[in-house]
Amino acid sequence: MVRQIIASLVAIMIFPLIVTAGDTPAPKSAYLYIGWPNDGEVIRSGHPFRVWFGLRNMGVAPKGVDRHAAGHHHLLIDTPLPPFDEEIPSDRNHIHFGAGQTETMLELPPGEHTLQLLMGDAEHMPHNPPIYSKQITITVK
Amino acid sequence: MLIRVLAIMTMLNVSAMTAVWAEQTPAPKNARLYIIWPPDGAVIKGGKLWVRMGLRNAGVAPKGVEMANVGHHHLLLDTDLPPLDEEIPSDRNHLHFGGGQTEARLEDLSPGEHTIQLLLGDDNHVPHDPPIYSDKITITVPPY
Repeated sequence: MVRQIIASLVAIMIFPLIVTAGDTPAPKSAYLYIGWPNDGEVIRSGHPFRVWFGLRNMGVAPKGVDRHAAGHHHLLIDTPLPPFDEEIPSDRNHIHFGAGQTETMLELPPGEHTLQLLMGDAEHMPHNPPIYSKQITITVK
Repeated sequence: MLIRVLAIMTMLNVSAMTAVWAEQTPAPKNARLYIIWPPDGAVIKGGKLWVRMGLRNAGVAPKGVEMANVGHHHLLLDTDLPPLDEEIPSDRNHLHFGGGQTEARLEDLSPGEHTIQLLLGDDNHVPHDPPIYSDKITITVPPY
């Protein structure tokens, strides 16, 4: 009895540590990447540029659409990855593409900027495992 | 002159009938479908490649999802555009990406020339109105 209680307590203590991602499973082979620009790309100031969202072994679905092995793109600008067990923030640094878009136009002020992609499920939660691209750095000048 | 009038009348008739028959999903007029990679004329050694499917001013949704301004990709391999008011065929020349995929893996393409074209389909696999399709490109697989 005491052992069971201890076991439950231990389980309760450990459980929050295990929850590090959302509940929606993602294919282990899913691969998210930025098709363009390339890491280190130099972009002319004042000229909007296109960002291509690359995704393999997984599909795109608009927000609210709960489908196996699908999600929608989020573009992280000048920010590290957010917590994986919470809804992805929606602000100037976390751009949502809930209509199923697979590319976008951006215009950024002069300087160095980072870009990274993160997939979100129907509820804007990262998948389990989370599907994100490498973070790249571009320079606008 | 009479022939011209008849021709115009026939055209009007046909378009009127089409308008009645077609209950196709409307598409944004500025939607553009294109092949990001490979470029037209590419030489693909080994006959294996990823085709990156590009879409502007519209979104991707898996089959069966009925929403405005979305569709799913169909890759036409070595074939012309099918009728644009019917369900897109599903066979070796018409590859469906009903899971919302935005890249297509092609393997075992035989040596020679191949054409690739993209066509967006709605939740029922029917092209939109107006239809959204890419340019057709030709790639070459050299002899193994």
